[in-house]
Amino acid sequence: MAGERVANGKDADPMAAFRELRDAYMDAWSKTMVDAVNTEAYAKATGTMLDAYLSASSPFRDALEKTMLQALQQLNMPSHADFVSLAERLTNVEMKLDDMDAKLDEVVSIPKKPTRPPGSPRGKRAARRRKEGK
Amino acid sequence: MSEAALIADELLGLPEKLNTFSKAVTTKVPIAQTPKQLVWALNKAKLYRYIPVVPEEKRHPVPLLMVFALMNRPYILDLRPGHSFVEFMVKQGYDLYLLDWGSPGLEDKHLKFDDYTLDYMPRAIRKMKAVSGVEEFSMLGWCIGAILATTYSALRPDDGLRNLILLTAPLDFSDKQGITFARWVDERFFDVDKVLEATGNMPGEMIDYGARALKPVENYVLNYLKLWDNIDNPQVVQAWRAMNTWVTDNVPLAGGAFRQLVVDLYRHDRLMRGEWVIRGERVDLSRIRANLLTVIAETDHITPPCQSEAVMSKVSSEDKELFRVRGGHIGIMAGSGADKITWPHIERWLAPRSK
Repeated sequence: MAGERVANGKDADPMAAFRELRDAYMDAWSKTMVDAVNTEAYAKATGTMLDAYLSASSPFRDALEKTMLQALQQLNMPSHADFVSLAERLTNVEMKLDDMDAKLDEVVSIPKKPTRPPGSPRGKRAARRRKEGK
Repeated sequence: MSEAALIADELLGLPEKLNTFSKAVTTKVPIAQTPKQLVWALNKAKLYRYIPVVPEEKRHPVPLLMVFALMNRPYILDLRPGHSFVEFMVKQGYDLYLLDWGSPGLEDKHLKFDDYTLDYMPRAIRKMKAVSGVEEFSMLGWCIGAILATTYSALRPDDGLRNLILLTAPLDFSDKQGITFARWVDERFFDVDKVLEATGNMPGEMIDYGARALKPVENYVLNYLKLWDNIDNPQVVQAWRAMNTWVTDNVPLAGGAFRQLVVDLYRHDRLMRGEWVIRGERVDLSRIRANLLTVIAETDHITPPCQSEAVMSKVSSEDKELFRVRGGHIGIMAGSGADKITWPHIERWLAPRSK
């Protein structure tokens, strides 16, 4: 009971009863809503709303796009489409660089040729050159 | 203390509580703090390698690549120090890599699963092999990341994949009644082309709304009540803030990939029926031979368990396990019990297979 000391010595929570009631209500509400969103009616309603929004906003979007494009052209500024095109080209360049990186990794991973032992003909010649300071 | 005094006490503490609540809801906390280095990048995608903390001789030789969903930030895997799957696996001696898809711009609206699985993933995996010096690897895919990992494994079964871990993998779309999303994107109600014509990519906010609307009361009301009820507990508040930082950091989904997700998968279930064609190649799940661990969240409302079970009978893997965890889509990997159940199970499964 609220106002009494509970067994562990802490003060009882005066809001506990309210919380219990609230949680029970929330639980019931939550289940109802989960069931509601899982219906065909909900899917249809949200689909209709989205469709209406897209249809209504489409003319404004088109008009805004055209106006922006004209304004940017007048100002000699790159448009959004120009940036998109540039970004696509950059990605292509990155891919080429990645291909080169792959080839470099392959080259690095090839084991190096063993050096010739000092007694071999070329090894003797190299040793003589080193000695002569050439 | 009398009841009146307790209520008065409660009221006096109200301004401070409101202040903490407001701060928790409106500010972000530092996340993804496990040290890592960038080893590869292409367009918005980045491959990170986590700095090993275990001496080389004690590390597992086979590296692990984590592939997360396309429309969320991957740092849910590395949420906060002391509660991070990444930190846990690095401490267990794994050579860990993360493929972060980044946030697609309008220039990426044509990107499809074809591009992700046949351009980005092979390149990232090649780089991972070059950096680690090992030809074999393990791959962990979560949610849409699991679709990518599965598709890649089926298309390139001879690429050195030894172990495949799928977390809450939406692969089977046959049970239309059991999948709420399938009902929402039904062609009678949802015009995917009209949406993408207007937006280019599927906006992160719309995806977030979709995920939250599956459980509206829990996500829009109870989530905040939980914070309020625990506002005096700094640990709970800190954990809530980290999760809220992740939840509110939305990423758009490339238009091409979203269209495939809706039309090919949610509507026509092409992957499980063996009819999904990626850049001219049919995705045949029976070509997957890697050891397979599938983790299912029993109360997952985003990917219900029915979406992840059938893959077990489609693959050719001899070594396979289906692991069920009590919890939700995110909770099984980032919830308070993840470090006691899911992470240790994944680690125990992977360790003997990473030698």
